[in-house]
Amino acid sequence: MGEVETIRNNTDIAIRSSACRAERAVVRFSRSSLISYVLGACLPVVLLPLTVLAQPAPDLGADEQREAGRLLYIDKCAQCHGETGKGDGVAAPFMRPMPRDFTAGIYKVRTTPSGQLPTDDDIAGVIRNGMPYTGMPPWPQLNDDEIRNLVYYLKTFNDDFSGPYGVPDVIEIPNPPSFSESSAERGRAVYEENQCFDCHGMAGRGDGPSAVTLQEQWGNHIRPADLTKRWTFIGGDTREDIYRTFTTGLDGSPMPSYSITPIEDSWALVDYVYSLSQDDPDYATSATAQYANDPVDPAQGRAAFGEERGAYFPVVGQIIEPGRSFMPGVDGIEVKVRYNADEIAILLSWHDMSAETTGSNAPDMEVPPTEQVVRDTVTSIWSDAVAVQFPRELASGGMPYFLFGDARQPVDLWFADLASGEGRSYVGRGSGNLLAGETSPSVYATYEDGAWTAVFTMPRDERFAEDTFVPIAFSVWDGFNDERGNRRGVTGWYYLYLEPSERPSPVMPMLRASGLTLFVLLSIVGLMRFRYRTSVSA
Amino acid sequence: MNIIILLVVCAGLVAMRFVPKINILGWLAGWWIAVFVFLRWGIDPPLPTSIQGMFVAILTLALVAYLSANSAHFRFVLDQFVAFTTQKKYTISLLAVIAVLPCLVALRVYFDVTEGPAPPLSSRTIHPPPPTSIEVAGNTIDLVNDDNPYRALETEDPAAFEEHVENGRRVYYENCVYCHGDDMAGDGLFAHGFDPIPANFQDATTIAMLQEGYIFWRIAKGGPGLPNESTPWLSAMPAWENFLSEEDMWDVTLFLYDFTGHRPRAREDHGGGGDH
Ligand code: HEC
Ligand code: HEC
Ligand code: HEC
Repeated sequence: MGEVETIRNNTDIAIRSSACRAERAVVRFSRSSLISYVLGACLPVVLLPLTVLAQPAPDLGADEQREAGRLLYIDKCAQCHGETGKGDGVAAPFMRPMPRDFTAGIYKVRTTPSGQLPTDDDIAGVIRNGMPYTGMPPWPQLNDDEIRNLVYYLKTFNDDFSGPYGVPDVIEIPNPPSFSESSAERGRAVYEENQCFDCHGMAGRGDGPSAVTLQEQWGNHIRPADLTKRWTFIGGDTREDIYRTFTTGLDGSPMPSYSITPIEDSWALVDYVYSLSQDDPDYATSATAQYANDPVDPAQGRAAFGEERGAYFPVVGQIIEPGRSFMPGVDGIEVKVRYNADEIAILLSWHDMSAETTGSNAPDMEVPPTEQVVRDTVTSIWSDAVAVQFPRELASGGMPYFLFGDARQPVDLWFADLASGEGRSYVGRGSGNLLAGETSPSVYATYEDGAWTAVFTMPRDERFAEDTFVPIAFSVWDGFNDERGNRRGVTGWYYLYLEPSERPSPVMPMLRASGLTLFVLLSIVGLMRFRYRTSVSA
Repeated sequence: MNIIILLVVCAGLVAMRFVPKINILGWLAGWWIAVFVFLRWGIDPPLPTSIQGMFVAILTLALVAYLSANSAHFRFVLDQFVAFTTQKKYTISLLAVIAVLPCLVALRVYFDVTEGPAPPLSSRTIHPPPPTSIEVAGNTIDLVNDDNPYRALETEDPAAFEEHVENGRRVYYENCVYCHGDDMAGDGLFAHGFDPIPANFQDATTIAMLQEGYIFWRIAKGGPGLPNESTPWLSAMPAWENFLSEEDMWDVTLFLYDFTGHRPRAREDHGGGGDH
């Protein structure tokens, strides 16, 4: 059995034959069971055709192409993927998912069946487009030749590319029928039948019951994609991309491959996933506070704030001050605000894979500077938490530093520990200098289907005058990701605009302006005609 | 600057040359539209509407001045205008103009009133003049006279120089890449969360026109070390003296230049930044 020798170790067997996973509706990632299952059933299936079919030779490029690729790789890629391609570059410890280990020959984004190597075009596509919201950047500045040379070089890290597996099968992606609501509706049933919710959650927010336990092939926890944020999809966000993702699976990650028949059901599932998300995040630069006569009832949650989507701000890791957060658990926060004569109510909403409601949290907790960066450990020591920040005074000559203020200009921080549900306020003069504030906000928080919603209510002070822009910033802590104190997700300063209670009606100004224009036009024409007539008759 | 729009506008103006029998009115309208399109869509990031309005007003005045400078042209335009407002064959178009213009104005007012005001824009000086000296971990560094202490190795001891650059590479990918990006184009993983956005070192207007002492100051003191006119409260640039040794900071400076292929601005012309 010469073929068997080309398979070098157990991991490889598990991977090469993971095509067999497709038949199972839900695959929990357990390597040992997979291997025995594989050895029993799949090995002959995979190997048999190989003994029969003569494969065309793989395209490995010329020596000088690989050498050109190597030089580029050392310059641009080795910092993350490592000099030897093992995914162990200097930046690797700070990234989750980790940079790919090319020696394993396992690729996520492929047009080939699960368990097979990617095509050259697949690898080139990933290099060109990157994998958004992960450490893998896009490389649009490299030209086609450079990218091809890189591909040739990457293929040298794993022998399978030059062996009998080097020319993988390609799955044809049929032309998609156009999107339809009814198909998306049917897709929901397909989503449930195939138990996608086990990982991705009922609302698709990546909060399914298995989500907290998933592991990548390389041993780190990985979060299921948040299907309501299509722009974060590492394999692309078109309908063809989504079809390819669940048809071929993302090898090395727990995302299985499925063959969903009939084909209409596949497209229905695509349309359902597609319908869960907007096209792009549409990040805002300001939020608008609307005037409401009656006080907001926080227990009504979102309903009290109107149905439309609020302002959505990007949240990124706090990597500026010691206690850095390289892989924050939250990547965006939605904000809606209502106010009346006495109160201001702020609704903050963000997606979180799991609610940590035990333990405690605070903005001034110490984070040892030497703490190892690991993502997603279930410790139950730190709870989820959120804070909203305003300058303590609105000065014309500038603002406080966006990270909890500075000595010159302090900030007011309204903080909610979501374990106790208790609201606290702080006066911040820098992250090392947080003192308790006078009045605590009242907080009402709920967690449902992978989303936290927290409503802060505070007496309205003179800062929040009608028709003003008040600087506003946010911090979010994901307890599941060991976040507390400086280790958190942050935003820069944005603005909160308080819309006047009396919205001026546009009718009067419109009438005035158009009336004036009409008057001017008529007078010009009248004048011209008068002058013309007199000059003609003269 | 949106190159495509610029090209389209220029192409339009060139094309106008070849239109047979185009009169002065056509010319004026063509120029007006061309400049308006460029102001409105051709500039990136877009100008605030108030500034756009100002430019359009200046443009209109300039065109009127151009027109009145040539009496034949002026006469022609005037005759056209008189004909349009008085002659029978134009009555219908004249009525249409009288009806449509006020409606357009009303629509404009409607959008202004309902859209609400735009958030205040803060202007900032990107490259303020640096201090003459700074204090880093108890050491005083003279930004006017001191050079990168490892730059001399480039000619004296290339192997040792290479080691410093390699250390700079490590520092960059452990610390800076999340904001300034893999290719140093200011588009790292977290860049979309910050305004001002992280500096683009590939661009000719950042490190390429600064001295190494200036870069060292920015790295050591970060956003909080900026003077007020540079909005230190908004800048996400960390003060790296809290994390890195003096040597690491000089090394990463070497690496920024090595990776981008830029050379630091020469020492002769004193003053470092100062450009806005
Ligand atoms: C700043 C770090 C970084 C740099 C620089 C970088 N990568 Fe990556 N790369 C990553 C990370 C992180 C992943 C894994 C992302 C994931 O699994 O979601 C990855 C994944 C990949 C993949 C795997 C795609 C798949 O389908 O599984 C390829 C191929 C790749 N990178 C090629 C390159 C090449 C070529 C370069 C240089 C031009 C490069 N990378 C530079 C971080 C980096
Ligand atoms: C065993 C858990 C699990 C199940 C079941 C599962 N997924 Fe996933 N899925 C994941 C994980 C984990 C990721 C993220 C993988 C990564 O980023 O490497 C993911 C990613 C995705 C993505 C985003 C791909 C991208 O390009 O980033 C889509 C779309 C998706 N899954 C759809 C589905 C659909 C549809 C189903 C059901 C047919 C399903 N998943 C079932 C775990 C699962
Ligand atoms: C959290 C994001 C962030 C990180 C991390 C970061 N920077 Fe910056 N950096 C910025 C931003 C934003 C600016 C532009 C605003 C400013 O000038 O302060 C900037 C500006 C600079 C400038 C000034 C360029 C000029 O033209 O004036 C230099 C030099 C610089 N960074 C170097 C570094 C180095 C070296 C590192 C790593 C040791 C680093 N930065 C890490 C965000 C970051």
